[in-house]
Amino acid sequence: MDRALQRTKILTDHLFQSSPSSPAQTPSLSSNACLNYSPPELSENYAFDIKHMRKLIDGHNVEERDWLFGLMRQSKLFNPKVRGGKVFVSPDYNQSMEQQREMTMKRIEYLLERGVFRGWLTEIGEEVQMRKFACFEVLSIYDHSIATKLGVHFFLWGGAIQFFGTKHHHDKWLRDTENFSIKCSFAMTELGHGSNVRGVETVTTYDSNTGEFVINTPCETAQKYWIGGAANHATHTIVFSQLNINGTNQGVHAFIAQIRDANGNICPNIRIADCGHKIGLNGVDNGRIWFDNFRVPRENLLNSVADVSPDGKYLSSIKDPDQRFAAFMAPLTVGRVNIAVSAVYQSKVGLAVAIRYALTRRAFSLKPNEPEILLLDYPSHQRRLLPLLAKIYAMSFAANYLKMLYVKRTPQSNKTIHIVSSSFKATFTWNNMQILQECREACGGQGLKTENRVGHLKGEYDVQSTFEGDNNILMQQVSKALLAEYVAAQKRNKAFKGLGLEHMNKPCPIIPSQLTSTTLRCSQFQMDALCLRERDLLNLFVADVSQYQAKGESTERAFIMSYQLAEDLGRAFSDRAIFQTFVEAEATLAAGSLKDVLGMLRSLYALICLEDAAFLRYGYLSVGNAATVRREITKICSELRPHALALVSSFGIPDTFLSPIAFNWIDANSWSSVEH
Amino acid sequence: MASSVSSQQDQVLVEAHSSARILTLNRPKQLNALSFQMISRLLELFFAYEEDPNVKLVILKGKGRAFCAGGDVAAVVRDTRAGANFFLKEYTLNYLMATYIKPQVSILNGIVMGGGAGASLHGRFRVATENSVFAMPETALGLFPDVGASYFLSRLPGFFGEYVGLTGSRLDGAEMLACGLATHFVPSAKLPMLEAALYEVDSSDLVIISSIIDQYCEQPSLKEQSVYNRLDVIDRCFSQKTVEEILSTLEREVVHQMDGWISATIQTLKKASPTSLKISLRSIREGRLQGVGPCLVREYRIVCHVMRGELSKDFFEGCRAILLDKDRNPKWEPSKLELIADSTVDCYFSKVNIEEWEDLKLPTRSKFNLPPYVIAKL
Repeated sequence: MDRALQRTKILTDHLFQSSPSSPAQTPSLSSNACLNYSPPELSENYAFDIKHMRKLIDGHNVEERDWLFGLMRQSKLFNPKVRGGKVFVSPDYNQSMEQQREMTMKRIEYLLERGVFRGWLTEIGEEVQMRKFACFEVLSIYDHSIATKLGVHFFLWGGAIQFFGTKHHHDKWLRDTENFSIKCSFAMTELGHGSNVRGVETVTTYDSNTGEFVINTPCETAQKYWIGGAANHATHTIVFSQLNINGTNQGVHAFIAQIRDANGNICPNIRIADCGHKIGLNGVDNGRIWFDNFRVPRENLLNSVADVSPDGKYLSSIKDPDQRFAAFMAPLTVGRVNIAVSAVYQSKVGLAVAIRYALTRRAFSLKPNEPEILLLDYPSHQRRLLPLLAKIYAMSFAANYLKMLYVKRTPQSNKTIHIVSSSFKATFTWNNMQILQECREACGGQGLKTENRVGHLKGEYDVQSTFEGDNNILMQQVSKALLAEYVAAQKRNKAFKGLGLEHMNKPCPIIPSQLTSTTLRCSQFQMDALCLRERDLLNLFVADVSQYQAKGESTERAFIMSYQLAEDLGRAFSDRAIFQTFVEAEATLAAGSLKDVLGMLRSLYALICLEDAAFLRYGYLSVGNAATVRREITKICSELRPHALALVSSFGIPDTFLSPIAFNWIDANSWSSVEH
Repeated sequence: MASSVSSQQDQVLVEAHSSARILTLNRPKQLNALSFQMISRLLELFFAYEEDPNVKLVILKGKGRAFCAGGDVAAVVRDTRAGANFFLKEYTLNYLMATYIKPQVSILNGIVMGGGAGASLHGRFRVATENSVFAMPETALGLFPDVGASYFLSRLPGFFGEYVGLTGSRLDGAEMLACGLATHFVPSAKLPMLEAALYEVDSSDLVIISSIIDQYCEQPSLKEQSVYNRLDVIDRCFSQKTVEEILSTLEREVVHQMDGWISATIQTLKKASPTSLKISLRSIREGRLQGVGPCLVREYRIVCHVMRGELSKDFFEGCRAILLDKDRNPKWEPSKLELIADSTVDCYFSKVNIEEWEDLKLPTRSKFNLPPYVIAKL
């Protein structure tokens, strides 16, 4: 009865409130039984300096990032909309595919004019590379289409010219690329071959009479597919093709090809078709390309690894085709690094929105006439969102580690970069999708509105788990590489060195039979547990593979058969490697509230890793200990609850780049805000 | 004691008309420059009116030809610690006004500069007239646009805020309205009628108050040579990443088109304190992405560093050259933009790690039902 009365009262209040005839008569300052929006920044306190925290997790170029945020915030091109008295920028996804593509190009031109890309290809050194990463992280917070189109232009085309090309290519193309005198694409993937680049079917021959290469698409599966920029804008591309010299296939090589003239007309002997509408990224003009005896001058072969002499002789310093191919692919790692580190930032958008909403949205009261409970005050809601916060912090530190690893690369570190970037790219992009989905659901129906971003980002960023290397294949490569390390160490009877595998040289850690809260929060224990899983899975994987080999299976076949252990091992490696970067970041800090909060996040991250099924499946944790871990997680969640706002504010994402439900969602949805 | 209280009260005149309160800044000889007493008095009045159900509207104006020409800087430089305290009070007032639950109407019939802008532009209604002269001239004084300017300047269209904040360019009433610094333009002849009409308002309703002001409004036209007609050039140049790049872009523009306004802008920038230019640009850029509270907290950190004079003494030198000796020839140190490292600029934005120099503590606002337009500023 009480409940019925209460509902009637609320309804009555609503009805009287919403009388549209005379808003003037409603005293605007009096309170009523309707819900009010109470800004979380007025009730939540910051226990640590959020600017300091932001510096720590952004890691570099904070001022540059803010400048770029500001450039977008101040231009009409970025589609500002006022909601609830605040300005939000986000592309108009209601535009047609063609319109979205044109807007992407216009935004790029605007940023170009402001000097954002200055030095991106013409300067060398660590500074400009870090600056580029920072800008991509910021751009990817706004929209994946602009980040992807620029990624293709600068990282794929630009990187290929820089790394596969030699001086005359650099002189001829880099400046024009940087100032967009040419618009560039990268034609690697084909309908029939994606991850398996060595299998591409495009064929190039050499005509010594004219000194030209002749490129052909011999069959439908050889059509170039998903080529970003090809459908509308690109004037140039880099074609990946088998090179056939005098009947000998020399493997995959890369050629510069002009596919459109300066007026945008498609060149003769080239056919281009659109890839059509997609589940996201409609601001990128992905196209398909066919080559019909298409000729390019001899100099257009990117010849850092191999060349063809004017009279048609194949010349390469690397004799082994496997090594040649590896040398060819190594520089492309930058794209993978970029995807991995950018993925962290969409997760940040999703979680900042979901947590801010959970700090202002109430649902259900315990007793009639009591105020309803704030979503984030439900332990269950904390359990859904706060572990994701720990994951994002862990990924932030790991991303900074990966960027540094990349910009400080040496020939010796190439293998490490390949393995770590593969592992992090797969892990971060999978985490990103999981985090966005949870955040979408945590926002309820509001999460479904495109303007609230969280749900829409899923479609926009789903592709991350596929492009620049399918996640599953990347993770298999990680496990394969770990196995190779194992075999090498055994064969030479030498200790493990590198990839963080040094723990394999020490005695096997032992998990106490009765875990306590203190132990669970100790970083040494956490590290031991993660190392134990990695070590044991590596041993099991090696044993499994050799068992297949003993039965007469080939190494390749043995790998394929041991896929389950390979997957578990890949995850174990990633979790441990990420955790290690967290511990290292924490160690740089002086004692204080900031370090304390990070300690809680680190423990939470470690404990959710310990919830991976492998710990029970392979018996690293007893059933009792697994239950203790689970209890401890809820405890840390409740301790982190007071820091939730500060922790998402530390992401440094300006309000403008979040969404209306992250702020005054009542005013944003009021009748007066409706466009009549 | 009694006389000091009375002089404090004389500096801000108070009138009551039904539910409106009219506060008049009353130091006409000093162009109503805000003294510590005035700020304290205003704070006291604003706090009291917020709690007082009989007050529904606050009107702020100035006596004489100025609304308010700024903070009483000459007094501030005499004593560093007291100076910091002055800014602390002033910024607290700025925050209170920015988050005020009742409408504030500021009548800007004359000079509105620096601290005067801070005491008016955060309020809900800003009425400009043909006599309005707005400027944030701090960079010429070795200071930076404070009083929450990093919030309100950064929200002007395009990169007009950077232009206004770095050059100290003067805007008239029409320009103030066009860029959004003013919400209304009323010819000064109509002000008495407007004020009389506002005295009768017995409401805090924004729609009602706005419609009353609307009745006296005129649509002024921008002068042909108005800077606001140069937004394209301003956007191109003042959106650049650094002060150096802003200058070099301006210099490129001058080569393309001989233009007196652009060369004058370059000259102004070259005369300003290089340190001030760098911290001002950074502060406006950060402010663009922050709420008004964090803007004031940051500005207070910067002003503490300025007052301590350990990183640069430009503010003291500027006050000497402009306000005291009036030789208008300040010797800035460092004297050139290139001599200022990014890490030095960083220092201005860091917390002063000395006990008596604490961060600005903003007054609690959570006990009020803040109106949506205030919530949006947080």
